[in-house]
Amino acid sequence: MKKINIQDWFLDKGWTPQRFQKATWQAYLAGKSGLLNAPTGSGKTYAIWGGVLQRQLDIGQLPKKTNVLWITPLRALGVEIQQTTELLTKAFFPTLSVGLRTGDTPQSERVKQKRQPPFGLVTTPESLHLLISNKGHQHFFENLHTVVVDEWHELMGSKRGVQVELALSYLKSFLPNLQVWGISATIGNLDLAQQILLGRPTENQILVQSTQKKKIEVVSLFPKEMETFPWSGHLGIHLLEQVTEIIRTHPSTLLFTNTRAQCEIWYQKLLEKAPELAGQLAMHHGSIDKINRLWVEDALRQHRLKAVICTSSLDLGVDFSPVSACVQIGSPKGVGRFLQRAGRSGHQPQKGSKIYFLPTHAIELIESLALQKAIKENTIEDRLPYLNSFDVLVQFLMTLAVGDGFMPKPCFEIVKNTFCFQTLTVQQWQWLLNFIQKGSQSLENYDEYKKTYVDDAGKICVASRSIAMRHRLNIGTIMSDASLLVKYLKGGKIGTIEEWFVSKLKTGDVFTFAGRNLELVRIQAMEVLVRKSKSKNTKIPAWMGGRMSFSAHLSQMLRATFFAPETSNTPEWKALRPLLDRQRQLSMLPETNQFLIETFTTKEGHHAVFYPFEGRAIHEAMAAIIAYRYSLLYPISFTLAYNDYGFELLSDQPIDIEALIDNNLLTTKDLIDDLRKSINLAEMARRKFRDIAVIAGLVFQGYPQKTLKSKHLQSSAQLFFEVFKDYEPDNLLYLQAVAESFDHGMEQGRLQQAFERIEQQEICWKKAAQPTPFSFPLITDRLREKLSSETVEDRIKKMYVQLEKQLQ
Amino acid sequence: MIVEIHHEVLELSPTGALYWPANKALFIADAHIGKVMHFRKNGIALPTEVRFSFYEKIAHLLTQFEVATLYFLGDLFHSDHNSEWVDFCRWANQQAFKKVLIEGNHDILPKTRFEQAGLEVYTALDLAPFYLSHHPIEATAPKINLCGHLHPGVRLKGLGGQYLKAPCFYKKPHQLILPAFGGFTGMYIIKPTAEDQVYVLGESAVIAVNKMKK
Repeated sequence: MKKINIQDWFLDKGWTPQRFQKATWQAYLAGKSGLLNAPTGSGKTYAIWGGVLQRQLDIGQLPKKTNVLWITPLRALGVEIQQTTELLTKAFFPTLSVGLRTGDTPQSERVKQKRQPPFGLVTTPESLHLLISNKGHQHFFENLHTVVVDEWHELMGSKRGVQVELALSYLKSFLPNLQVWGISATIGNLDLAQQILLGRPTENQILVQSTQKKKIEVVSLFPKEMETFPWSGHLGIHLLEQVTEIIRTHPSTLLFTNTRAQCEIWYQKLLEKAPELAGQLAMHHGSIDKINRLWVEDALRQHRLKAVICTSSLDLGVDFSPVSACVQIGSPKGVGRFLQRAGRSGHQPQKGSKIYFLPTHAIELIESLALQKAIKENTIEDRLPYLNSFDVLVQFLMTLAVGDGFMPKPCFEIVKNTFCFQTLTVQQWQWLLNFIQKGSQSLENYDEYKKTYVDDAGKICVASRSIAMRHRLNIGTIMSDASLLVKYLKGGKIGTIEEWFVSKLKTGDVFTFAGRNLELVRIQAMEVLVRKSKSKNTKIPAWMGGRMSFSAHLSQMLRATFFAPETSNTPEWKALRPLLDRQRQLSMLPETNQFLIETFTTKEGHHAVFYPFEGRAIHEAMAAIIAYRYSLLYPISFTLAYNDYGFELLSDQPIDIEALIDNNLLTTKDLIDDLRKSINLAEMARRKFRDIAVIAGLVFQGYPQKTLKSKHLQSSAQLFFEVFKDYEPDNLLYLQAVAESFDHGMEQGRLQQAFERIEQQEICWKKAAQPTPFSFPLITDRLREKLSSETVEDRIKKMYVQLEKQLQ
Repeated sequence: MIVEIHHEVLELSPTGALYWPANKALFIADAHIGKVMHFRKNGIALPTEVRFSFYEKIAHLLTQFEVATLYFLGDLFHSDHNSEWVDFCRWANQQAFKKVLIEGNHDILPKTRFEQAGLEVYTALDLAPFYLSHHPIEATAPKINLCGHLHPGVRLKGLGGQYLKAPCFYKKPHQLILPAFGGFTGMYIIKPTAEDQVYVLGESAVIAVNKMKK
């Protein structure tokens, strides 16, 4: 019998395997692990799966049980991968199948997978953890030889990446020959991405890079008359006409918005403006019903749509042939994301991509220049991995306890072998074991804490079925994008919405969903209860917080652009001229060596605005430090606002900038110490703690069906935070929240540099008669932090409670 | 802070308790004793020290006020029996004053347990000119309804975008809702109207706040 070769099969089909595909097959068949750096839609699935099938062809006999796991970050992506790989598999082995195991997989299918394990299994990080929480899972995985981690660049910057690290280290503990393959888009720290996934570089691993590189052209859009250009805003509707024109002149267009609300509003406005587009215009975001989303993806593939307005929902994977043009509405916040989105356009690799950048306010035009500069110089930001995520570790240890139980000693080694926990100390490990065994560090005489017990062999096992059940629900519902039902308080379903989307909202927040303004009343038992809201001030519930900060790269690019003389001839800069003139007239335009501070008074209070151009996250920290230092001089309360360009302190008392300069409050001295002491840090930590409490299983959100008793166990993460802060300040989860505020929130090193830069600059203080163009996006910001050195009593005395409008 | 409600002088404590000097009566709502251990029994690791906050606060109140009767306005104990009830009984039996419990929705312990702690138990109680209940009752006029259940808190606004959330006593025309006394309890943010009055708990004082129309 003639030996079948995957490459010949490709050629028979009239496809020419690309170089990176051949390289991947070769390395895979040599038994290596690797990281494949290839863009979406380049044939990366075939690159990996081809190798898997070739090996099976070489072996010549049918495999038993599940041999390959494919981990994807998105369930929607999972469906695609499952279909593609199964189709390919059937071409060679009609009896083999590829299964899908995600939160959506029905119980009947799960049972079938257990009885007749599919050859390949496509799953998500949390579903993999759920598999590990099953008894006898090591038996289930005994023939596993390959794990593929898709979109690793996306996962590694999140706690789900930590889940992947832990799962891989655990699988390797009983499958020593396991081959691991990651797939990643280009990021600044690809080397680190490889090391985190595969461990220290050895001969047995490889980085395969596809060489395709598209040329990217960026075109800024601006209104014909600059006077109409808003100084602040977030929708960009003023450029509706230009966008309509782009849609008309291109066969197909993708419009990227940063938030779902923005997406919904643009959809409506476009239909109003160009009714003839009805039927050819679609919307795609995470809250849209799955069936509709799949229809849109399908229609895109078959060129049946003229334009699709989407959020990050179309950033990842989802293979469809490129469109003719892309439009980015508002700041993309990072070079990498902008490139990925731009890459969606351009039919032929050699032809390049075209992306229109639509600034939502004037100053974003400078950002457009910065993006162009970054693309020209090919600088893409790093993805920061999480370190010491104790919440994920607590969850994982419970997962093992729920499964077959675990022996502490070997488990410590498994955990230490991950990148995330490489510095884990024996003391920390003991703390974690105490935490899940005793619920505290001190032994109490009579305590009824129940979570795990130690069996005769020394294994740590889960204490009861109900705790096991609660834990499984916790893995399944929180980390993955579980769907919650959105319902009116008085009844009436509106649709479903993903949990992570809701988790960004607080009670009372108003958000736009399915074209309606809704106020969040509460979340209970997997339902989001809302009421209609007339509030125009809808909070835009945002993608990844929506207020992502500029990356270090983009901030640097922005400063470089802002102060560079060669930018003054660009159309962007010319369009900005009226606004810059106005800025100069009311205040000044700072030069490279100048640090601008503006003060002015409005009916809101006394404003002081600072412009370091360092990106939002750094400004958040800088504002906290300066407010804190100032508040040591006088008892005062501030609220703080920040964006990517600068930050603002607002107070009911005048802010004395002379005192600020005379007392050297902009110094680098005691920087980190002051940051630690600023109340703002506690606020940031409190926010971080929300996720931590959920992941570590402290906050229990109820059962999907109320078949089990969950009475009296509901509590908010906020309350836990307060209690730990007051009673157990050495709690590792509490400390993690504080640490995360530093690492991921503000990047200490960058903060230091930012203050150093100011020390070299001339401080220019301008007293403006009214708000300046630069300050406008800041002072209209409605999400604020606060910092105060006054006593609570003094603050309360100055405050008032706002009465509801009386109904007539 | 001293307030006069329907000709009766009342003292509002920043701990959330209410004292009625004429009757030497102390009122406490929503203590939620046992909540910490209830969570711990279910594998949620709260610091055990939290449970002492009740005794610290009440010891302080007893040095401040002469108490003949202590009224718990419901949700005294958070859930089923656990070891915290034993602590509470020991404490309660050492106290010379009378103890009364107005049952709340969380008070699901069997009656015998409450008797064990020397508590008289009522679903509601007429204590002219007051009417005691756990849930707020609308139609008690002309009597004043003293109650809990809501865990009232208020969102205060100030100049310069300042805001602050704090627990409060919530006074309506014929009702005074007490803040939750327990250490591990949340807050429900109320929306007062013009006829209401709000007394906010500061760190060491209770403060009547100003009201402003939208």
